Amino acid sequence: MAVYKRRYNSYTGSLTAGWSRFFVLTKYAFADLFKSRFFVILLVFCIVPCLFFAGYIFVANNKTLQLLMQLRTADFFKVESQYFVFMMLSQTQAAFLLNCWVGPVLIAGDLTNGALPLFLSRPFSRADYVLGKLAVLGLLLSAVTWIPCLLLFSLQSGLAMDGWIWSHLWMVIPIVLCSAIWILMLSLLSLAVSAWVKLRIVATGVIFITFFVPAGFGEMFNAIMSTKWGMLLNFSYMFRLILVKAFHEREGLVGRAWDEIPVAAAWGVLIFVCLLSLVILNARLRAREAVRG
Amino acid sequence: MMNPTIELNELEVQLGGRTILHGLTGVLKSRAIGLLGPNGAGKSTLINTLLGFHSPSKGSARVLGLDSHTSGKALRSLVGYMPENDAFISKMSGVRFVRYMAEISGLPPDQAMERAHEAFVYVGLGEARYRPVGTYSLGMKQLAKLAQAIAHGPKVLILDEPTNGMDPPARKRLIELIREIREASDICLLLSSHLLRDVEETCDEVLILRNGQIASICNLVEERRANRKFLELETIGAEASFTSTLEGLGCECAVFTNGRIKVVMPDSVEIREVFKVAADRGVQIRRMNHRRDSLEDIFLNAMEQTGAPDGRI
Repeated sequence: MAVYKRRYNSYTGSLTAGWSRFFVLTKYAFADLFKSRFFVILLVFCIVPCLFFAGYIFVANNKTLQLLMQLRTADFFKVESQYFVFMMLSQTQAAFLLNCWVGPVLIAGDLTNGALPLFLSRPFSRADYVLGKLAVLGLLLSAVTWIPCLLLFSLQSGLAMDGWIWSHLWMVIPIVLCSAIWILMLSLLSLAVSAWVKLRIVATGVIFITFFVPAGFGEMFNAIMSTKWGMLLNFSYMFRLILVKAFHEREGLVGRAWDEIPVAAAWGVLIFVCLLSLVILNARLRAREAVRG
Repeated sequence: MMNPTIELNELEVQLGGRTILHGLTGVLKSRAIGLLGPNGAGKSTLINTLLGFHSPSKGSARVLGLDSHTSGKALRSLVGYMPENDAFISKMSGVRFVRYMAEISGLPPDQAMERAHEAFVYVGLGEARYRPVGTYSLGMKQLAKLAQAIAHGPKVLILDEPTNGMDPPARKRLIELIREIREASDICLLLSSHLLRDVEETCDEVLILRNGQIASICNLVEERRANRKFLELETIGAEASFTSTLEGLGCECAVFTNGRIKVVMPDSVEIREVFKVAADRGVQIRRMNHRRDSLEDIFLNAMEQTGAPDGRI
């Protein structure tokens, strides 16, 4: 089928491994994303706080600089679990913003013009499709959450020396685990919304609504029933609860319902949101829809 | 021994609580198969089932020996599919879209790029390949869909209403392309259409569906070969000697009033010989209709038939 010959020839060359083909979706999605100037600015905006956190570590480990800056309260500069909780809270919010911009377009673009049958008529399953799209958000959100967190952890380990790394190594697990559940929940939720709502603006709005409206209802429920269980509808709060408890931090970082809602319930809520998103994706991502009747 | 192209074994498909395909059974062995039937006959459902989009509620369907349900992935690795409805990514340029699809089919990126360009030039969209697919006309979109279906070099090409929305010259070009693809390689073709001409011009075998049942399976090649030529003559001065001479050549004749004669000619007899006999016998041929049994006749016959106890119509 060479261009100059203008005749059809079948393909007899090599093929890529079946398991790796989901990554084609990721590659093309990234190529499209990086064409957008706004996306690049947003990504930089999400990474910039990490530079401030890195600067904090540098100052905290540099006595000369502290003297020059005439800083007195040495305790303020301790890089301990609280520092990483703050950083994680800041970066997971950045991840939320990034997700609101990137997530809504990932599937909607394929559904709008009926491209899904073209993907699924190939040796490519719906699971591969979701995995390919999920990888886009997974990589992107990782780049602003646990990856910079671990880099700063390494920086602190290098600067602090005197065995700091060994006494704080346990923090690697909450950093990775808490980031993983947050990334998974955000990604699946925005993919489900993207599969449901085809317009970007509306989809972004729906993601915001999903986070803020149930939280509002939860507060109303708490006020009416004089309980704290309504907090279960506040996904951000549930994540904060998991994070703070995973780092063995103080009550002050989460405030109300500290002891009333068990951390297992918080995990349960986030896992439930993930499963619900998967159910929606399963219902929406079909090559052909069958109309009942 | 080579597997039949399509094998249906009591295939029943239910969608939304309704039975769409009712126990289809049949074997289609030709390389180019046409799928005919009125709207709602179950053509698209059959295609979707062959692609593994719908699971059979009973029975099975096989393409080149691969079960559509249990070996779906292996089967789809052999398939190039051109859907009936719009199917594209509107903001992508044509060539990038086809490359993307080829990469998902498993072609390495450089090969996918090369094949995408080739496919686009081949279908006649070379000049438009860098334009976003969303800006294409309806006919161009059809060609872009064909390009993505052939770019990865499939063994089975499934075309669902490929000439939908095309003007006559574009339709002619597309039919030529399909014939060319069929002849240039060992590709198997399954073409669904409600346009009899499309099927007649590209296919060797036809499966006619009606109300989710098989109305007819007809091998067009054999039909064409076996097809006898019919002549309807209006003559003046024709006597028994004229018809007996024609019968002597192997024709079958039926004589009616007012000099009307119907002649069934074997393949070995040409029309010229009928004129020659008429000239020799001093018979004037005032009018002659020459016709073959067309796919239209086969289709209309299939549509008129009533159901048979074995499930076929």
